[in-house]
Order: sequence, then structure tokens, then C-alpha cells
Amino acid sequence: MVEISLPTFGRGGLWVAPFILLLAACTAGNGAGLDAGGRPIGGPPGANSDFQEIQDTIFTPICTACHLGANAPQGLRLDAANSYAMLVNVASAEVPGTLRVNPGNPDASYIVKKIEGTAAVGVRMPANGPPYLPQDRIDLIRRWIAAGAPMALQPGDFLRVTSSIPAAAETLPAGTSRLLLVFNSEVDPSRVSADSLELRDAMDELVPLAVVRVPPGRTNVIEITMDRPLAGGSFQLAVRGDGPAPLADMAGRVLDGDGDGIAGGDRLIPFDVSGASR
Amino acid sequence: MIARLTFIRVGATMLLLALAGAAQAEPYLAAQMGLKCAQCHVNPTGGGMRTLFGNTFAQTQLAAKRIGNPEDLWTGQVMKFLSVGGNARANWNVGDVPHQSTANDFAVEEARAYFDFGVIPNRLSVYVDQRFAPGNATNLEANVRYWLTENALYIKAGRMYLPFGYRFEDDNAFVRQLSGINMQAPDEGVEIGIEKASWTAQLAISNGTAGAPEVDKGKLAVARAEFVQSAWRVGASAGFNDADAGNRRMVGLFGAYRAGPVVLLGELDYIDDDSISVGGRKLAATLAEADWKMAQGHNLKLTHEWFEPDRDVDEDEQTRTSLVYEWSPVQFLQLRAGVRVYDGIPQNDLQNRKQGFVQLHGFF
Repeated sequence: MVEISLPTFGRGGLWVAPFILLLAACTAGNGAGLDAGGRPIGGPPGANSDFQEIQDTIFTPICTACHLGANAPQGLRLDAANSYAMLVNVASAEVPGTLRVNPGNPDASYIVKKIEGTAAVGVRMPANGPPYLPQDRIDLIRRWIAAGAPMALQPGDFLRVTSSIPAAAETLPAGTSRLLLVFNSEVDPSRVSADSLELRDAMDELVPLAVVRVPPGRTNVIEITMDRPLAGGSFQLAVRGDGPAPLADMAGRVLDGDGDGIAGGDRLIPFDVSGASR
Repeated sequence: MIARLTFIRVGATMLLLALAGAAQAEPYLAAQMGLKCAQCHVNPTGGGMRTLFGNTFAQTQLAAKRIGNPEDLWTGQVMKFLSVGGNARANWNVGDVPHQSTANDFAVEEARAYFDFGVIPNRLSVYVDQRFAPGNATNLEANVRYWLTENALYIKAGRMYLPFGYRFEDDNAFVRQLSGINMQAPDEGVEIGIEKASWTAQLAISNGTAGAPEVDKGKLAVARAEFVQSAWRVGASAGFNDADAGNRRMVGLFGAYRAGPVVLLGELDYIDDDSISVGGRKLAATLAEADWKMAQGHNLKLTHEWFEPDRDVDEDEQTRTSLVYEWSPVQFLQLRAGVRVYDGIPQNDLQNRKQGFVQLHGFF
């Protein structure tokens, strides 16, 4: 027979109890004037992109409960100001051989392993699940990574290349036949052609580009496809901000390729392709 | 040797009986018994490996009943100079999110082992806390602890949990998530601690990267002090992280009060973080908990938490209310079952989810 004990209240330290009871009176907000991420409607506008949607519906409302500030777990801060820079092409702290986000390759991205529960280290994210992320949110992250993990659009005075596959000085695996360029703004597709891009090999020979296009639904991305895999060796991709066919965005802002703050200049991306494909 | 171990066991039991109770793992247990964390944990700030006292208490005071040979008292010491311990938690979890189908799973929440090499008994230890599941093995703590004055002043260096507020078993508590200081995010640094009759205080300097590689020259400094009385206690924490990404300032108040079999426990943390966005952000979180020791081996825990993600934004606050029943039928075994109800802005389903769990917890 279990004997139940009941509370008794003694003297001394009673001033601690009101403090604790006061904490118990805190209530949740009613969300008035806020978006789904808990941020004010009419605040700094988010651009129309998958990454912004990921930030607004996943990172900000869920992940920043822990992944916030200088003490964020594994040094991974997922607030809007830091998330992109801490994810894309950044080695995981738990498994340094794996990138947190490997642009173009969701299956090789550590963030996907963590949210799907297949990571070799640590718990599935969110750590307080279940529930874990709904499949449509996981699919959103996969789709964003598969598209080259472009950052949210941040139109400025010029069109700029914000990331690329390959990144400068990166070594791509053998068999590569597809390259991606990601821009800060919507690219004017009428200016996108094989003339606005140039790929040369180590012998300075032009490599033919079979298809150069803005993929459907990815208005800030240029996809380059070769008709055969690149041979092993060194290459340089030039993105034209000068010449007869400079790239520009939908507002007519020309590419600032050399990053000097003046419209014009080519963006040069040297990269290597490892050995012969099998 | 056998006579010596028997002496230790009998002595420990008598000590516990003399105190008419004792402490163990969670802060409410320490408050219930009027003791400090160091009484039951080799880590003076709590958590991880249990002391001889803690192990003895778990066998004689915590559980509803003790089974087995009364003379077989587990002390943690498996050989001279080496003590071991561990925790394993196996869960069945269920989650319900508005507008989604209910999900549930079985999961190993954690399986951890502790090793304490007391190379100079009561003075110098090399301590390791290794998590073996879920996933691959991960080191959580690895440090050297040296008591400059026995049981009064120590220095610790290596990988460790930092001292800030109460060290809850639930790392998902808002206060532990907000501070970023919990048992999922150890850091590397050095800690100095003082233990007095009614006081416990610590100062730690660490990388401030929550275990990730150091990325700048700035460091995190945290301090914690607590005044402990038999029926109540109160403490304060403060921290400053000097980081290139932006400085982070943290302050916290915490305390507990015992009313017979009920312990009231609370914590309030406030953070001013320049690293979050342009202009920085001010955040706060609270926890209020009542633990009712209904009978020997039976505890009912009611917790209400509040999270303010941005002091400059109104109506964005979130709460989490939990009711957890903990039953310890025999020594070193605990069955826990509970529900957690989240309440947040209505436009975000995940902030309004419900969770339930049943957990089998074995420890030694």
C-alpha cells in the first residue's frame, strides 16, 4: 500500500516561492502582427526563394530555439543573418568529412542526414522531436540543395554571382558534366547564352557548352550542361560582365563580375576535375 | 580489501540514514534533500557520474523498494582508483502537430558511460563522459579535476559542461536551449570552483563555441553561485561571450523552495546577443517546476516554461507545459511517462504541438 504525502508549508525561504510562482504565470503570445516565423509582418522583406522559405518556416521558428548566438551547438547558427554562411560548403563539426550543405547533392549533405535521422553522430533534428520536420519541409530543403543551394535573393546595385558549382579552386569529381551559377537577383534569360559564358581547359581551348539556361522556377540560377563529361584537368569558367553579351538581371543591372563595385568585369572561376571517369 | 569495501558500504549507508534522505541526479532532488550537487556527483556542478554517496542514495532512498542482496551495494568503484557509471534511456515518443498526422517512434534517447580515474583519491581525477548512442560514440566530457583543497577548492580543465543555472536532465528546456549551455553542448576550457558549507560557486573560461573548433580569439566567461539552505536555495549566473560574430551577455536567477514533499524550483534567464542580427536581439526564458514526492519512489513533476524570442517583438512568446510521472520501482531503474504541450503563435503549427513519451531509464 502506497502512502501518499501531501505538501506542508514551513517558515523560512518563503520569498523564493513567490518568485517561482511568478514565473509560472507567463503566457504565450497571440501572434498578432507576426508571420509564421514569429517575425513582424512588414519587417525586412524576404525574397521569394526556397532558402528564404526554409529560413522563415524551419530555421527561424524551430531551429533557432537552440542554434542561436555564439553558443550555438556545434557552432552552427541558424538565424537569418548567419545561416547561409554557416551551412553551404561548410564542413560539419560532427563529421568533418561531410559538408553541412553540399550544393547540388542533398544525399551528401549533413543537414539532410540530421533531419532525416540517418546521421552517424548525435540525435535526429529537431532534437526535441518527434514531431520531426514534415516531409514537405524536408523535401523543400532537399530541393533547395539539389538546385545548388542558392541564397535568398538580395538585389543590390549590380548583378553578382553569389555561389557556384564548382566554387573557385574546387576540385570536382570525374564525370562532371553540369555546372551551376547562383546570382543575387533574377537573371534576364534573354541575355543568357553560350556567348555570355566561356569555359576553357588548361590548354586554353574552348570547351563547348551544350545547354546554357535559366532552369524553370530557378530564376537566379544559370545551369550549364556539357554534352559529354569533362576530362580530368584544370578549367576556368568566365562569366561575362563585359563584351557584346554581358549578363544582367531583370531590372537591367549588369553583372559586376570582378567585384570592384562598378558594373562590368568578368567573374573567373578556376577549378579542377579529378582523374578520368570510370 | 573485502573488509575495506564492506566498511565503505556500511559507512555510506549509515551516512544516508543519518541525513534521513539524500540527493541524486536532478536539481529538484538536491533541493528536496537540502544538499548541493557535489554531494551526489563527482562533477561539483552536477550531472554525469555519481559519487559513492549518490550511488548509495539511489539504492537505499530513491526507489520504492530495494531488491537483491542487501550487502551487494553498488559503489561505482570497480577497482582501486577507477569508478564507472552510466545512463541509458529508451523512449517511446509520440508527437501531434495541428494539421498533420500523429507520429510516434521508439528511440534510444541516450546511452552514456562515465569513467573516473581517481589517481590521487579525493584530489586528482581524470574524468571521461562518453555517449555511445544514438549514433556513433561522442565524447561529452574529458577533463582533469584537481582539488587544491580537499572538498573546498578545485580546478578543472578540458572538455566539460559549463556552469550556468540549473543542470536539468531535459536539455530541451527553454532555459537550457536559450543559454546554449546544456548536456548536449559541452565546451573546452578551464573551471575553478569553491565549495563551502552553504555556498557553491564556479567560474569557467571556455572557447565559447559549444564544442566546435575555436574560430576567434574571444572567449566565453561564465560564473555561477548558489546559496544553499536546508529548505530553500537561491543562485545567480552570468556569462559573457566575446565573439567576432557579436558579443553575447547572459544573466540568470534561479532558486528552489521545499514545502514538505513538494519542491518548487525556478529559473529566469535573460540574454542580450549581438550575434543574431543587425542591432542584436534580447531574449528571455523561464522555468517553473513543482515536484511532488507522492510516496517513496513516486514523483509527479509539473513544469511550465516560457520563451521570449525577441523582446522588441510583441506577442511572439511561447510556452511549454509538462506533466511527468516518475516511478522508481527498484534501485537504478526508473519509468517515466509524460506529456508536453507547446503553446505559441497560432500561425505556426509546430509551436502548438503536443508530445508524449514513456521512458525506461536505467542508471548506475
